[in-house]
Parts: sequence; structure tokens; C-alpha cells
Amino acid sequence: MPSLESISQIGLNHFLYLSSVLFVIGLLTVLMRKNLIVILMGIELMLNAVNLSFIAFSSYAGDVHGQVIVFFVMTVAAAEAGVGLAIAVAIFKKFKEVEISFFQKLKG
Amino acid sequence: MNQDAFVVTVNLIKMAVIFLLMVQLVPILVWVERRGSAFIQNRFGPNRVGPLGLLQLLADAVKFAFKEEFTPGKGHKAFFYMAPIIALLPGVLAFGSIPLSIPFTLSGDGYSHTFATQVFDLGIGIVFVLGVSSLAAYALLLAGWGSANKFSLFGALRASAQMISYELALGLSLVGILLCFGTFNFSEMIAAQEVPLTFFLFGKEYTFLSFLPAWGIFYQPLGALLFFVSVFAETNRLPFDLPEAEAELVAGYHTEYGGLKMLMFYIGEYGHMMVASALMATFYFGGYTFPGLTVVGVQEFFSGTLQIESANLISIFTMLVFHVVLMTKILIFLWIFVWVRWTLPRFRYDQLMDLGWKTMLPWAIFNTVLTAVFLLLRGV
Amino acid sequence: MISAALFYGFSAFIIIFALAVLFAPNPIVSALSLAATMVGVAGLFFALGSHFIAAVQITVYAGAVMVLFVMVLMLFDLKKEDAVSAMYVRFLKISVAGVILGLISGAITLSGFASNTTIMSVDTASVTPTKKLAVLLFTKYLLAFEVLGILLLVIAIGVVSVSRIKGGTHAKS
Repeated sequence: MPSLESISQIGLNHFLYLSSVLFVIGLLTVLMRKNLIVILMGIELMLNAVNLSFIAFSSYAGDVHGQVIVFFVMTVAAAEAGVGLAIAVAIFKKFKEVEISFFQKLKG
Repeated sequence: MNQDAFVVTVNLIKMAVIFLLMVQLVPILVWVERRGSAFIQNRFGPNRVGPLGLLQLLADAVKFAFKEEFTPGKGHKAFFYMAPIIALLPGVLAFGSIPLSIPFTLSGDGYSHTFATQVFDLGIGIVFVLGVSSLAAYALLLAGWGSANKFSLFGALRASAQMISYELALGLSLVGILLCFGTFNFSEMIAAQEVPLTFFLFGKEYTFLSFLPAWGIFYQPLGALLFFVSVFAETNRLPFDLPEAEAELVAGYHTEYGGLKMLMFYIGEYGHMMVASALMATFYFGGYTFPGLTVVGVQEFFSGTLQIESANLISIFTMLVFHVVLMTKILIFLWIFVWVRWTLPRFRYDQLMDLGWKTMLPWAIFNTVLTAVFLLLRGV
Repeated sequence: MISAALFYGFSAFIIIFALAVLFAPNPIVSALSLAATMVGVAGLFFALGSHFIAAVQITVYAGAVMVLFVMVLMLFDLKKEDAVSAMYVRFLKISVAGVILGLISGAITLSGFASNTTIMSVDTASVTPTKKLAVLLFTKYLLAFEVLGILLLVIAIGVVSVSRIKGGTHAKS
């Protein structure tokens, strides 16, 4: 049973718990949904969870390096979303399909 | 009262005042737009209701309020209702972070408090404004999708593609001025523009026309031009109003809207214009300052010439004088918005994209590099 | 220290919208919920004092990436709902996620961070955190920054070439 103080005093571990919950929701989105684009959204959600924990560490340690990493992660995530969406659009144009299990039928 | 609660209350009141200021400016702007267009096209414009037709907008507002409330049958209801509300938010939030005047102090027996005429003073001012105004794309997309109308959807997709494209040119055109001032903060930028105009080259100081202030426009003429053109595209105004091109798309994303929801879109659009004008004034035209107008001078005018005793009144009046300076600058830019709308024809969509990606973006990058080189050669 | 009301308010906002991403049958609702989640995360960044990263989060994620997602979904106009996998597969997936959540939270609980409740202030009187971030980005991480620029260039070219593939909505089916 957590004490009242550990609930009202917001510390680093609160942010880490929130981040892990967010990460698992993103993971479940990737695992459970069939739509390719929603799966990409799940990946974005997981990246956001990781960013949150980086910023929390950075703030509680008084160190800016965490923010630099988050900056890089954001850039790569934006690039990754662009590539993912471009592939989804290309495949949708050809086959009118965005379900992920359809993709295993694709051949060279 | 608790200090935190006091600050929160003051900020909420400020937010409400900003919102009301924006909403109150809209009828005047619509009047200016209609009378201005009439003036440009050699017509009379609305001149029947009230003096100079000024009450026409009151009549229009009453008409808007009493229109039938309808929603498209096959649309997405929640999106349809959310869109006008989201359209209002970015303008208000962005306007709240721009300093509208100098701070004023109220003091009496036992208390003294300085109120900044800005809802939230963030260190990162301009990045925040860019962030919240990029959220405006959602209002258009939701309106387009929620209406279940192909013209609405076309308009929404055009609008959001246009906004994303021109955001690049907008952001890059600002890099030059940010390099010059070395800060993201609006108040610091305005303070930097109060001094007389000086240029530095290889460590030497050159002063031309010393009565001129160090306004951003003198350092960044190209950046100012690019910024002003990009905000026309961001606000979806002519000559870039492809999203609501009547001849092609009925009325674009707000085809299915009527009554008060339509009015909210209007307020959102004019709010965007006000934010753009305020940013233009703050970055390139010295914000609320004006050469020859100093805080001490204005205070002495009120206490000496007008014989006002109360320190609180002098503080408030001084704040109002500087606020009027900023408002005048904003209104001049708003008039340019109207002027351009009724003077230039509309672009074609491919011309719009060509202009954004092949002309504005390279020039903005060129401006950034040029500014960086000059700052390097400054030698100070 | 951050006020508890602020933290729990933002957390509730974030988790509700994250769950909406997971459960909304309409992908557009998912995308909009994700945008709201990102705005909430940006709010927490603000509360933690990383103002610049918070503003970048709103501009890049909520303002550009998610708009792209929504636009693509609107172009697709998907009518059918997601298929649901078999019962035991779903059970397996949820239990895997549960085990991972348990492992992470166990690790957090066992580590010694619990007592740390004070935010170390990054800024001193002369150097703002944003300036510090910029200096770090252009000195220590300069190589990574440049490599990232090249990556973005490559990806921009790649995306244009992939999305110009012939066929689809305009070709004969």
C-alpha cells in the first residue's frame, strides 16, 4: 500500500510509471490492430512514452543531454512516419488494402 | 489571498480579456473589409444600418444567431461540432503570448502588483506561437471530414496541404530575425528594437539616419517580405484562398456550415490575421515602441502637463498609450490584408505549390545563410 | 516539484486518449486521439521545464506528423472495421503486454528513484535551458546532427520516389 506522501509528492518514478503505461498501450496498439496506419500510430505512441521518460530523467537530473536525445528521436520518428505512410499509400494505390496480414502475400 | 491562486485568477481574467478583444475586433474588421472592398471597387458598400453602416454587423450577428441549426445527415456529428471550436483556439492562445504593451503597476496601502499585459510570458515565445498555429489545420480537416461533402473534403485537404507547405517557408523566414536578436522571447526582441539604427561590419560601428529605430525591417527586409507572404497562405486569404475558391469548391471546408458555427470560423480566420499582424509588428516594426516615445516621457506628460495625481492612473494611461501604438501598427497590417484581398487575383493550385516550394523556400534558406554570414562578419 | 493536481490531470488526459487510440474502431478517431495524447505529453514537458522540446513536440508531432496521418486516412476512406483475431491469440498478446508492464514497473519500484522529488534547475541566470540545448546540439552532437540532416534528405527523396509509383486510384483496375 503506497503511503499518502508518495501519491501527493510527484517524483521521477511517477513519470516513469506513466511512461511505461503509455508504452504498453502503444505496444498493444501495434499487436492488436490490423490497420497498417493504426500500427504506425502505435509506434509513435511508444516513441512518445520513451521521450517522456527521457525528459523526466533530464529534468530530475538537471542535465540537458536527455533533451538532445528527445530532439533526435522526434526527427527520426517524423522521418519514419513519412516513409511508413508513403509505403502504405503506394500499396493502397495498387491493391486497395491496408490490412497488415495482406502484406505477407506480397512478392518481389 | 494565496499567491498562486491570485496569479491564476489574474491570468484567467487576462485570457478572457484577450478573447473578448479578438471577438470585438472581428465586426470592425468585417466592416472594414466590406467598406474597403467597396472603396476599392468604386461602390458604396453597406451604408444603411447606423452611421457609415457600422451597425450592419450587429444586424448580421443577430441574423447569424437566429439561423436554423442544421447538420449534414451523413456527416460525423462530433467532428462537425468540434471543428469551429478548434478553429477559435489557436488564434486566442497565440495572441495571448504576445506582449500588447508595457507592464503596469497598481499599488495602494499594503499591496503593490505589476501586471504584464501578456497572458503568459514564455521564454520560447515564437516557437510556441508556431506550434499552436500549426494546430489550426485540424479545424479544417475535421470540418471537411465531418461535413460528408466532397467539396468540403477537397477544400480541407487543399487547406491542410497548403498550411503544412507554407509553414516551412514561414519558419525559415523567421530564422534570420531570430539570429539577429538572439532570442525567442518577444519582450527581449522589442527591447532590442528601441535603440537607434546601427550596423556593424568588421568590428566597426556605422550609424545611418540616427533618428531611425533599430527595427527588424531594416536588418531583414527579405525575411519580412517572405514572412508576410507566408502568413497570407497560412491564413488562407486571397491570393492564396484556394481552400474556399468559390468558383471551384462552392465554399470549401465551410460549405455545410451556417449560423453561429460559420461565425466561429470567421472569428478564427480574423484571429489568425490579428496574430499575423501582431507578429509582423513585433518582429519587424518595433512592437509597442515608437521612436521618440519613451516610458518616462509619457509618464511626465500625464503627471506634468495633464496634472494627474494618482500613480495608478498614470501607470494605466501610459500602458494604454503604448497599447494604442501597437494597435495602430496591427490595424495598418490588417488593412494591407484587406487591400491585397481585393486587388490581387487568386493563384492556381500548382502555382501556389510552386511558389511555396520552389521560390519561397530557397529564398528563405538564402536569407538565413546571408544573415549568418553577416553576423559572422560583424566582428563584435 | 510539480503540483500533484497538474500531474494527475495531464496523466488522466494522456491515458484516456491513448486508450482511445487503441480502442477506437474508426482510424481517424484514433489519429485525432493520438494528436490529443501528444498535446498532453507536450503539457507534461512544459511542466517539467523543457519548454523548447514541448513546443517542438506540438509543432512537429501534433502539427505536422499527425496532420499527415489524418490526411492519408481521409484519402483512403476506409469503410470496413478492423478484423479481430482469435480469442487465444488476443489473450496471448494481452498477457505479453501485461508481463512487459509488470517487468517495467517492477524495475522502477526496485530502483532507487522513488525518493527523488526535486527538479534540478537547468537554467542559471545567464544561460537559458534552450541556449544550453542549442550549444550542446552544435558542439558535442554536431556529427549526429549533420548525419540526421543527411538521413532526412535521403528519406525525402525516397518518400517522393515511392509515392510516385504508377497505378492505383488513377489507373485502370
